[in-house]
Amino acid sequence: MAVSMNADSGLGSILYRGLSRFPMWAFALLWLLPSLGLFLNSFRSRDAQRNSGFWTLSPNDLTLEHYETVLGASSVNSMGDSLLNSLAISIPATIIPIAIAAFAAYGFAWIDFKGRKWMFIGTVSLMAIPLQVALIPLLRMYVSGAHYTLPFLDKTLTLVPAWGVNGTATAVWLTHTGFAMPFAIFLLHNYISSLPKDIFESARIDGADHFTIFWRLVLPLSIPVLAAFAIFQFLWTWNDFLIALTMIGSANPDALPTTITIANLAGDFGRNEHLLPAGAFVQAFIPLVVFFALQRYFVRGLLAGSVKG
Amino acid sequence: MSFSRWKSLLALLAVAVLFLAACSGDEVTDAAETVAEGADEVVEEAEEAMEDEEAMEEEEAMEEEEAMEEEGDGEAMADTGTVTITGPERTEQDVAALNAAFAPFTEETGIEVVYTGSADWEAEINVAVEGGTAPDISFFPQPGKLADFARDGHLKALPDATSSAASANWDAGSWAFGTVDGGQYGIPAKTDLKSLVWYQPARFEALGYSIPETWDDLLALTDQAIADGNTPWCVGIESGQATGWPFTDWIEDIMLRTAGPDAYDQWVTGDLDFTDPAVVGAFEAVGELWNKPGAVFASGGTIAATNFGDNGTPLVEGDCLMHRQASFFGGFLPEGTPAADGSEGAVDVFYFPGNGTDRPILVAGTLAAAFHDRAEIWQVMEYIGSAEYANTRQAAQKEALGGEGALTGFASAVKGLDSSLFEPLEQSFVEIMATADVARFDASDLMPADVGAGTFWSEGTSFVNGDKTAQEAAEAIEASWP
Repeated sequence: MAVSMNADSGLGSILYRGLSRFPMWAFALLWLLPSLGLFLNSFRSRDAQRNSGFWTLSPNDLTLEHYETVLGASSVNSMGDSLLNSLAISIPATIIPIAIAAFAAYGFAWIDFKGRKWMFIGTVSLMAIPLQVALIPLLRMYVSGAHYTLPFLDKTLTLVPAWGVNGTATAVWLTHTGFAMPFAIFLLHNYISSLPKDIFESARIDGADHFTIFWRLVLPLSIPVLAAFAIFQFLWTWNDFLIALTMIGSANPDALPTTITIANLAGDFGRNEHLLPAGAFVQAFIPLVVFFALQRYFVRGLLAGSVKG
Repeated sequence: MSFSRWKSLLALLAVAVLFLAACSGDEVTDAAETVAEGADEVVEEAEEAMEDEEAMEEEEAMEEEEAMEEEGDGEAMADTGTVTITGPERTEQDVAALNAAFAPFTEETGIEVVYTGSADWEAEINVAVEGGTAPDISFFPQPGKLADFARDGHLKALPDATSSAASANWDAGSWAFGTVDGGQYGIPAKTDLKSLVWYQPARFEALGYSIPETWDDLLALTDQAIADGNTPWCVGIESGQATGWPFTDWIEDIMLRTAGPDAYDQWVTGDLDFTDPAVVGAFEAVGELWNKPGAVFASGGTIAATNFGDNGTPLVEGDCLMHRQASFFGGFLPEGTPAADGSEGAVDVFYFPGNGTDRPILVAGTLAAAFHDRAEIWQVMEYIGSAEYANTRQAAQKEALGGEGALTGFASAVKGLDSSLFEPLEQSFVEIMATADVARFDASDLMPADVGAGTFWSEGTSFVNGDKTAQEAAEAIEASWP
């Protein structure tokens, strides 16, 4: 009796597990299919790609030529230089917003000052501004600075000097930093404000000031959310095309990131489109490394602030 | 994560801030050194793991520094005599060939020329002009865009000396592509010939077909081929967001032949409506030809679902006899296809014929125009308009693509072109251009973007799909004219 019960529930649970996981696997496969197709296509010759789909894979079509071409590309700058340029953009554009936003989020969450609520609402509502509308004014500011002429006095104040950073990685990560800030503050604030109040109170009683609390309590406790945001931000800046094109563009081809170098490979009328699948995997390699290195923080960070502690 | 890690994180932040300050200061070098020193001090405490990233930061600072020195401002550039050029051509070979084409010029004059290709030229040039970072010269694939910039005062008209020196190298028709409201702003830099039909001479010979001399011959050949059980045409107009443009090329070629160049010009400027019988007639002529049972092979199932670039293999493998496409189509033929060398399976072109007595051609290409007014820029512009430029570029491009036998995709209508630098197939492009009576630029590149890069494509595609009649499509396009 007991044995049969066990077998029953064993079979049931296996069945249940299988049925409940089947849709998950099916969807995962479905989602992966385009990437898989792209991956297979990256090894197929130009004519094979033009004439048939990836499922008609035959060993004769396979070639490593596209990877050689992509890695050896030197149309505007070499692939190695572009990868370094991409890092020169993505690393500051990831670290700086996190550092600033962590301070700001702590301030908004745990320091009681006048107008805190409204400042926070103001900061967070900046998320609603599409970055595209600000690109050209920003570029103008980088090129020629920002000046304001006082009415009636005929006096021009220079609010921002002409930095002339256009055409450099600086202009790109500076822009990324600015646009990342509202979301970074919002995400980190939600997490940091959900930390238990008791630890802050006992720290205060022990004589800790705000900086000590932030440094020794908040930062170590916030690592999951910091890592999660770092993943988001790194992927977004690594894959960015628009901001780099606007801020660097043709002004300084030596500073162009990988996204633009790969897009240039396709050529006019798309005659070299067959290089793009290989280019996509060269481009995706580093984000994949970052993602797998930090992925254990990912889900924890996604849930950041969703449950109040 | 230990505290020392966070310290190093802060160190990185400090470096970045200092570095930012460095960029705003005048003494870039000094500031950058300070950054490097400061970074070294802080990083001693940091863990080794972070040192790699630190190095990256420093390297970046160095790169920036170099970039800053190279960049300079407008005046500094004038002193060093560097001229910057941007354009839509961007493959490795194109860029190499363009830079090589300027090498003899630099040797002669000492003026450095730096060319940068852009994957998104159209968006980028708008941003650069708006943001105040326009290059010295840009290659415009669309005269319509050039005219817009000229009218807005962004482009500089050619000085008389440059204009008269360069215009001597061009026939009046090609030269006129760069004229805006009576002023000369552009110089042709590259010409793509569109009025071409690609075919295999050996197959034509085996079937006993001859090259059609008139539009009627072309229709007769189409009927003959269908009757013989062959598919005469390969057609595909899919091109992502630009789906429909090969259809517009057909319409333009037919407009040139049936309505004539004057009506064509009026059509481009909007004086001749899309609903005019001449235009609707051209739509219907194309529709009639493509919709004939058995007339078209479309590898993607339907014409609108077949990528324009996928027609090369069916043509070579004999799924169809003819394919009308521009001179750049050589780049889409399957690898190793022989071009006009008389061998079995070789591909050649013939002129897309009309019924009239004159031989009009439809062309596209790029025009160089200048955003700044400096003596060395005008020297470069004059050089771009010369046969020497076209010849050097062709030679360099052929070299970059593997030498003898390579199709470069480059062609020019400039006088004095050295045809021995071209492959036999390319020589026939040059010859067709040289013997043409009338040349007109691709209309969709001249019309307002809402039409030329919008409804003309999309409504044309609806017509090809049979969702709209010629009249309905024409009315929809006309309604969208700004």
